[in-house]
Amino acid sequence: MLLNALPLLAPLMLVAAAFAPRFMQGVDVRKGAMFAEMASLGTIAVAVLSAIVLATVGNGDSFLIGLFGVGLSVSLDVVSVVMLLLVTFIGWVVVRYARTYLDGEARQDTFTFWLLATLSAVLLLVQSGNVVQFVGAWIATSMCLHKLLLFYPERVAAQRAAHKKFVMARIGDVAVIGAAILLASSYGTTQISAILAQAEQGTGGGIALAAAALIALAAILKSAQFPTHGWLTEVMEAPTPVSALLHAGVVNAGGFALIRFADVMLLSPLVLALLVMIGGFTALFAGLVMLTQPTVKASLAWSTIAQMGFMILQCGLALFPLALLHIVAHSLYKAHAFLSAGGAVERVVAIRKPGPVAVPNMSAVTRAFVVALAIYGIVYAVLGLGFDFAGKSPQAVALGAILIFGVAYLLAQGFADEAPQALTQRTAAYAATVTVSYLMLQRASEWLTAGTLPATPAAGALEWALILLALISFGLVALAQATLPLWSYHPAAQGLRVHLSNGLYINAISDRLMGGWKRTSSNKGAAQ
Amino acid sequence: MMTDTFSGYAGAHLELIAKAEAAGRAIPPLWPLSSSVAVNPFLGQTEQTLPQVAVLLDRVAGTSVTMLRDWYQAKIVDGTISDADLVAALAQFPEAATDIAALKTATSANTEAPVALPTVADLAAEVSGIDWPGIVEERFGVWAAGFFDTGQALWQNKPGRRAFDAWRDFASRDLTAEIAGLAGFGALVASTPAQTRNALVAASDALGLSAEASETYFHQLLLGLGGWSQVARYRLWQAELAGGTDVTTTDVLVIQLVWEQALYAQYATEIEAKWAEVRAAHASPVAPTQGQLIDAALQAAAEFAGQRALAETLNAPGEATSEGRPALQATFCIDVRSEVFRRSLESVDPGIQTLGFAGFFGLTASHQGFASDVEEKRLPVLLNHGVTSKTGTASDTTADQTARFAARAGRAWGRFKLAAVSSFAFVEATGPIYVGKLLRDALGMDPAKTPDKRAPVLDESFGLADRVGAAIGILNAMSLTENFAPLVLLFGHGANVVNNPHASALHCGACGGYTGEVNARLLAGILNDRDVRAGLSENGIMIPDDTLFVGGLHDTTTDAVTIYDGDFAGHGHQSHLNTANGWLTSAGKLARTERALRLPRAANGADVSRRSRDWAETRPEWALAGCKAFIAAPRARTKGKGLEGRAFLHDYNWQKDDGFGVLELILTAPVVVASWISLQYYGSVVAPKVFGAGNKLLHNVTGGIGVVEGNGGALRGGLPWQSVHDGEGYAHDPLRLSVCVEAPAEAITDIFKKHANVRALFDNRWLHLFTLDEDGKMSERYNGDLNWVPVARADADVTEDIAA
Repeated sequence: MLLNALPLLAPLMLVAAAFAPRFMQGVDVRKGAMFAEMASLGTIAVAVLSAIVLATVGNGDSFLIGLFGVGLSVSLDVVSVVMLLLVTFIGWVVVRYARTYLDGEARQDTFTFWLLATLSAVLLLVQSGNVVQFVGAWIATSMCLHKLLLFYPERVAAQRAAHKKFVMARIGDVAVIGAAILLASSYGTTQISAILAQAEQGTGGGIALAAAALIALAAILKSAQFPTHGWLTEVMEAPTPVSALLHAGVVNAGGFALIRFADVMLLSPLVLALLVMIGGFTALFAGLVMLTQPTVKASLAWSTIAQMGFMILQCGLALFPLALLHIVAHSLYKAHAFLSAGGAVERVVAIRKPGPVAVPNMSAVTRAFVVALAIYGIVYAVLGLGFDFAGKSPQAVALGAILIFGVAYLLAQGFADEAPQALTQRTAAYAATVTVSYLMLQRASEWLTAGTLPATPAAGALEWALILLALISFGLVALAQATLPLWSYHPAAQGLRVHLSNGLYINAISDRLMGGWKRTSSNKGAAQ
Repeated sequence: MMTDTFSGYAGAHLELIAKAEAAGRAIPPLWPLSSSVAVNPFLGQTEQTLPQVAVLLDRVAGTSVTMLRDWYQAKIVDGTISDADLVAALAQFPEAATDIAALKTATSANTEAPVALPTVADLAAEVSGIDWPGIVEERFGVWAAGFFDTGQALWQNKPGRRAFDAWRDFASRDLTAEIAGLAGFGALVASTPAQTRNALVAASDALGLSAEASETYFHQLLLGLGGWSQVARYRLWQAELAGGTDVTTTDVLVIQLVWEQALYAQYATEIEAKWAEVRAAHASPVAPTQGQLIDAALQAAAEFAGQRALAETLNAPGEATSEGRPALQATFCIDVRSEVFRRSLESVDPGIQTLGFAGFFGLTASHQGFASDVEEKRLPVLLNHGVTSKTGTASDTTADQTARFAARAGRAWGRFKLAAVSSFAFVEATGPIYVGKLLRDALGMDPAKTPDKRAPVLDESFGLADRVGAAIGILNAMSLTENFAPLVLLFGHGANVVNNPHASALHCGACGGYTGEVNARLLAGILNDRDVRAGLSENGIMIPDDTLFVGGLHDTTTDAVTIYDGDFAGHGHQSHLNTANGWLTSAGKLARTERALRLPRAANGADVSRRSRDWAETRPEWALAGCKAFIAAPRARTKGKGLEGRAFLHDYNWQKDDGFGVLELILTAPVVVASWISLQYYGSVVAPKVFGAGNKLLHNVTGGIGVVEGNGGALRGGLPWQSVHDGEGYAHDPLRLSVCVEAPAEAITDIFKKHANVRALFDNRWLHLFTLDEDGKMSERYNGDLNWVPVARADADVTEDIAA
């Protein structure tokens, strides 16, 4: 369909704006940056129009601009449209920010060029109608981003981080290329919707299983899952908008791949189980490391790793609509968090202003967990009447419970003995609001993606084991978190803190293996 | 407060300990970004001259302390620096060159970039190919960021520990060094003496350090830590203000030494010989090279040129001041940003008189904001606080409680957002809200946070007699003791920026990096008090009954002003205030239009205001960039002269200054603060790698106190590159400040005899000094060693020299 090809306009506009200063007379750096912002606004319009097309016409693929299944085509459905809306919106915010932020920078034109190139690669990726385009855009995203990460090529730390990222990304590329070849040979087509339709029927055999494993591997590498996460904690060596784009856009590609190929992933419960374990561990591990980070951007980076872990966990539990919700919600939050990182000084001062923090003791924490679960139960029951919660999978219920452990932390702070009643009431109100909001959003994303994303399969023994494991481990960490002030200064805990704050030395080890601290000609004499 | 004992050390070791402590004092302090002020980066070197400091910093930091030669060459070519300036400079540095032709020739070739003496880490890196200096810097940064963290991380280090103790615990567990290839590092750290001084002595012995070699070597190790050692120095500064002492500078030095010791233990056989050479080089005396003398001479010439331009500005005919009672008196901070606004305001109506005074208005207030436990030291950092104040009265108790509950709930929410597990719930439940936040901030629609409208209240313990005494002192120091207008506005100032880690550096330096309205409002309250006025009249200062003082805030980013007339309900001056508001609005427009010319991407005054709300803006205002003069004289001397927002203006009338007490105050306090500002700019321009805060685009706030570039490593003090450079050229010419005082030279000489440290600033030319005559023209130049030369004659000499 011709209309379904509409999203292709978005990357086209960005590419045009990127090349405009090179081919047009009288376009200086500032004008080029203005063109970039205009084009990125245009991509939002394209995304909105695409959403309207989807709403009126429904899911569908565009024609292929190319031959033999190789070329550009668009798969227009809820997943691609949601991603288009997300990426174009954040893209505009980042481009607009960079337009002012980079002003006066010697190589602003280069920056604008690669920023637009990266964005258009991401846009091509999320609308991919065929696996060849998917692979091409996947690799191009990483290559273009690499240019941005090395915007200050003379910075040794930037080289070190970019090199780590480069190695991980190339392994990921091999995995994604392998997956594409396996999918195409197994299903006899490069068209993604056709592949998914067949996978939904359970066909594909062992080759498709291998493809699922490779997609999982690529996702783990792309979304910085343990133990391949190290690079993400070090890439703050480029201007802030790059971090915003990376953490709110590019890093999601892993999760996007899992969601895009959800039907294929469902073929292999074993791969999904692996994703649950890796994602779950990463979420907890990175969440703990985050607590120890004294710099604002490092803290945000560890937060991203943890959030990506949680999202991968959701994919592993076959809760694809929730994973999509998580990608959207996290991207919006993280883009804002990075771009507003300069306010950290004021935020830290504000912490001290109202006086000491009321520390909850064990009994307050216990009460908080009980009340949180009760709130969950009540809200669930009440909303369930109107919104058909009865049909929810145990996976989704368990996930909700994990989130409620987090809400318990909010309550616990209000339940501390020294906490005045007004504080208790406020935190309780926050807790209830969060719970309602979460369940509503969860329901909304399920409703929106129904028919596009596969339903969560019935839980078997393996799934139940994983659910229990997740509940127990997240529950324990949540408990440890809520009681943190009670034990965090203990010598043993302080010792553990040293190792955690170093991210369990994954980066130190990879630096040793990859020669990250080797002196090169460019960093000689840079000492002191 | 932590102290160490000297007992039980051998003589050589005592010397090393003394050198270690002296090295700590060679480092400038760095205030936390929550309340930061400009600091003279050469604070530890004011007893030395520029060429001496050039040698020192070449050796220990590998930096030059002047501009590259082509910068001077361009100024010579375009005529900014004249031959006369070069001649005068050569007279100051006769060994630099034989004549000015040679000096000019020297500007054609840039000298080689200076290289610091290598540390053991550098030598180890050379032989091993492992970037040890980088590793040490990164490891120190990781530890220090945690140690000095004031609340960024939820899981903190145990507080209240001594730096060296905390580091020993950290480093003996940290496996990174060993993974990187430094075998046995953890064990070595664990076996170092627990006492800092013992560890210092042990490490120095292992490194074969003599006391002579240690002086500049220790300085180098501390400078290599960037802002971290400066934060340690800040602790010492604060402790000494409070009458105590602090050992953190020595602790961080010893941490560096233990690294050096460990690296030396591993690589000694390969680097022994070289290390001996380095030690010898450290022990050798510092003597300027020919090149450094040429640099110093060129810098002197550029400063002569700047002073000539300043003299021309001052020689221009001024505007007449109107006689009689002014309709409005408006007092501003001496800050150079006030100059533009004052000039604009004066141009609006001849009945307006403006005055300049240090922005803390003489009240050294320790202030607690509304619903806040944080004690804000709103005073010059050279002083201890003398008064305490608080926003809100007893009647506000309920509102105070409510605000605190809201803030605490907000804090609980903040922890929920950032904690393990709960952060997932936060993201999934509230992520979509960020569409709105992103839109709001991208479009700059976040309204400015204005200071509290509620009036600050002085503590009762500061009684009537104290208030009268303070009022007398302050009015005298302001040279405002008669001819009061019906409305006297006292303006503190503050910046209005978003998403800017360096926001406090844009606020009032005299108020300790806070906005200045609190002090202004407090003083207005004192001066409106009937009892205080009675006390003043007994002391000969008659304030008319119809005079009202009102505090206000001058927003230096947007040149908008706020007047807190609500502090004095029923004041009966509404018509005066309405008129004043009209004038101030007009003045704001003029000032914005003038400032728009200097700011990038600001076509007009409206753009100036818009930019202040832009979260991506790295140059919301130029702050004090371009400052070049400090003028203490009646405003009549400078009124109408185009000082371009580059001069500190302090009202001073020497005829009324019996015993020159006010002059002494000006030279020892505001002038010193101005020198810190001027020299911070100087250091950030000439040595950005050592004394500048680096690239804003890479800034990463650490511990709520400072910034690092990118991932971490050294904390960066000083000014960011974007604050001194607009992308095309410097926003600040690195010329040391010219202080111009209308007062008899002998009076100044007498003050110098009493204050050796202030005199050193002028003798070593970290500041230049001129007297002004009654027309505001430069009269005499301070030539060092308590000597003065007439400005006119100095010029004549130069002309003769050229003729000869």
